[in-house]
Amino acid sequence: MSENIFDVSNVTLRFGGVVSLNDVTLEMRRGEILAVIGPNGAGKTSLFNSLTGVYEPQEGTITFTSRDGTVMSVIGQKAHRVASAGVARTFQASRMFSALTAFENVKIGAESHRGIGVLGAMLHGPRTRRGERESDALTIELMDFVGLRDKANTISASLSYGDRRRLEIARGLATNPQVLLLDEPAAGTNPSEKLELTELIRKVRDERGVSILLIEHDMKLVMALAERLYVLNFGSVIAQGTPEEIRANDAVIEAYLGAAPTTEGK
Amino acid sequence: MRAFLRHPAVRRFVILAIAMAVLEVMTGPPGSTDAPTEGIAHSFTQPSSFFGLFGTLRWVVFLFLALVLWGVASLWAWRGASIKSTLSSVTAVPRQVSQRKVTRRGFGVALFIVALFLPHIVTDPFWHAAMVEQIAIYVLLAMGLNVVVGFAGLLDLGYVAFYAIGAYTTAWVTGALPTPPLFHHALNAFYAIPAAIVIVMLAGVLLGAPTLRLRGDYLAIVTLGFGELILIFANNLYGITGGSQGTGSIPHPSIHLGPIRYQWGLDPVPYYYLTIVFVALFIIGFTLLEHSRVGRAWTAIREDEVAAESVGINPLKYKVMAFAIGASTAGFAGAITGSQLIHIFPTSFSLLFSINILVLVIFGGMGSISGVVLGAVLVQTVSMFLLHSPPSGYQSADLYIYLGALLVVMMIFRPVGVLPSRRRKREIGLAEAGEGHMDEVLTGDTP
Repeated sequence: MSENIFDVSNVTLRFGGVVSLNDVTLEMRRGEILAVIGPNGAGKTSLFNSLTGVYEPQEGTITFTSRDGTVMSVIGQKAHRVASAGVARTFQASRMFSALTAFENVKIGAESHRGIGVLGAMLHGPRTRRGERESDALTIELMDFVGLRDKANTISASLSYGDRRRLEIARGLATNPQVLLLDEPAAGTNPSEKLELTELIRKVRDERGVSILLIEHDMKLVMALAERLYVLNFGSVIAQGTPEEIRANDAVIEAYLGAAPTTEGK
Repeated sequence: MRAFLRHPAVRRFVILAIAMAVLEVMTGPPGSTDAPTEGIAHSFTQPSSFFGLFGTLRWVVFLFLALVLWGVASLWAWRGASIKSTLSSVTAVPRQVSQRKVTRRGFGVALFIVALFLPHIVTDPFWHAAMVEQIAIYVLLAMGLNVVVGFAGLLDLGYVAFYAIGAYTTAWVTGALPTPPLFHHALNAFYAIPAAIVIVMLAGVLLGAPTLRLRGDYLAIVTLGFGELILIFANNLYGITGGSQGTGSIPHPSIHLGPIRYQWGLDPVPYYYLTIVFVALFIIGFTLLEHSRVGRAWTAIREDEVAAESVGINPLKYKVMAFAIGASTAGFAGAITGSQLIHIFPTSFSLLFSINILVLVIFGGMGSISGVVLGAVLVQTVSMFLLHSPPSGYQSADLYIYLGALLVVMMIFRPVGVLPSRRRKREIGLAEAGEGHMDEVLTGDTP
C-alpha cells in the first residue's frame, strides 16, 4: 500500500494562453491534513478541479491510490468516477441542492454509490427498502456528526453559511470517501463558527480516518489545522513544509503573507 | 355493535364488500326495459366459474375476492403502521407529512373509482371515444414527458417521435405494415405492447446517449430534429411504413389466458378500462420512482450538475434513464392507440402534438405527477368539449390560440403550474430570488 493518496507530478493546466497551473508537483500522504495556500488567482481551485476530474490538465500525471491499493489516473477521468473512487469535495461558493432539505442533500450523497435499479425503485422491492433504511441510518449518523441533526428538515437554501459548510462536509462524507477536499471552508463564517469548523475538520480526520486537503485564506485556521502546507503563486509551487517552515520562508512572506512577519494573521 | 363496526379491520371489510358488490352488479348481465331489476338480481344468482376450476354462484366469487382484498389491505395497514413508527423515531419527520400522504392516497383511490364508473355516467359515444383517444392516452403521454421534463429537467420537443415509433412498432409486429413482421409471424396486438416498449426504450437510449451531453437549448433543438426526422421517415418510406397512406389494419388485442378470455373490439370503453388501469400503475410506479434514490439523483442533477457529479452521480446515465423511461411510456401509449384506431397515419405525429403534450405538463405543474394528470384531464376535456359543441364562431384550429394564451397567462401568474410539486415550487422560488444554480445549468454556464 502506498503512503501517498495523491501523487501529482509536473501538472500543467492551460486555458488558451493563460497558464493556470505551471509544472506543479506535490504529494499528499494518507491520513494527513494538508493545506494549499496562496494569493487569489494562484491556481488553488484549478488544482482542486484537476484533482477531482473537473478540469483536464494538458501535461503531467495525477494518480489517486485507494486504500485497497488500486491506482487510478485522475486526468481524463470523469468527475463522478473520481468521486466514486473516494474523493469527496466541497465548493468555494457552497453548492447544495438548494430546494431539497438538509437531510435529502446528505442522503443523495449516501446513496450515490448504490446501483441504480429503476425497476426495483418502481416496484419498491425489499432490496430497495433495505437500501433506503441503510442510507437513512448513515444520513442520520452524519447529520449528528456535523451537528445538524435538529436542522434535518430545513430547506438547505435557508441554512446559514456555517451550516451550509457543515452540510457540504456531511454530504461529502456520505459518499464514504478516503480524502475530503475542502475549498475555503471558512469563507463567510463568523469567528465562533470558524472555531467549530476547525474542530469538525480535525474530527473528520481523527474519527473517520479521512485525509483532508484544504484550501484556505484564513491563516489562523490553516496554521491551527494543517500538518503540511504547499504555497502556490502564479500557478507554481513556491514553497512547502510545516507551518513553522512556511512562516519563516522568505519567498512566501514576499508573495503572500506580507512583508511584516507576524506569527498570526495575514 | 357500534364499537365492533368501528373497528378498522371490520370497517375495511365492509367497504371492500360494498365495492365488490358494486363491481358485481356492474359486470353482471344487463337488465331490460320490462324488468329493470332483473340485471341486479341475476348478477347475484347467476353461476360463474371459480377461476375456471369449479362452478359456483357469482356472489361467492366476489365474496372471495373481497376477502382476498381485505387480507391484502389489512396486511398493508399493519406493515405501514410498523414502518411509520420506526421511521418517525429515527428521522423525526413530522407526522403531518405521512398524514398528508395517506390523504393523498385515499384521494387517488377515490378518483380511480370515479374513473371506473365514468363510462356509465357519461354515455355519449363521442365522449366514450374521447375519453380514450384524447384524454386517457394524453394523460399517459403527459406523465411520460413529465419524467423527462419535470424530473430530469431535460427539454424534449420531439416526444411525439417515441409515440410514433410505439404505434408503428405495434403495426409492424401485428403484420399491418408493408414490411413483414419478425419471422413472418403476426402477433396478437397484446404482445405488441412489450415489443413497442422495448423498441421505443432502445430508441430513447440511442437518441439520448450521444445527445444528452448537450445542455438546455441545444438538447431541445436536437430532439426537435429527431421528431421531424421520424415524421419524415414515416411519411416517405413507402416500402416500410406505408407512407402517407398510413398502415394496414392493426388487429384489436385479445386475451386468452386460462379462464380469462376477452376480445377488444370497436367499442372504446374496454380500451378505456385497459388504459386507466395502466395509468394507475404508471402513477404508482412513477410516484415511487420520484421518491426513490433515482428521483433524488434526478433532482440533484437538475439543480446542480457539478455538485451532483462531485458526490459520484453519473449525470449522463441518469439522463439517458429518464429519456428511456419517458420514451417507453410514449411507446406504450402508441401501442394502445395503434390497436385502438386500427389505422395510423403520419399526419397524427406532428410537432404540434409534442407541443400539445408539453403544454399539458407545464399547465399541470412540471415534476408533479398529480398536477400533470390533472392538467392533462382538464385541458383535454375542455378542448374536446370545444370540439363537440363549439361556441359560435369557434373553429377547431383556433384551439392552439387559446392553448398559447393559456400558457402565457400561466407563465405570468402561476409559473409553477396548477398543482406544483413541492421541490419544483421551491426551485422556481429560489431562482426568482437569485439563489441556486438552475439558470447556470440550463445555459451551460458551469465551470
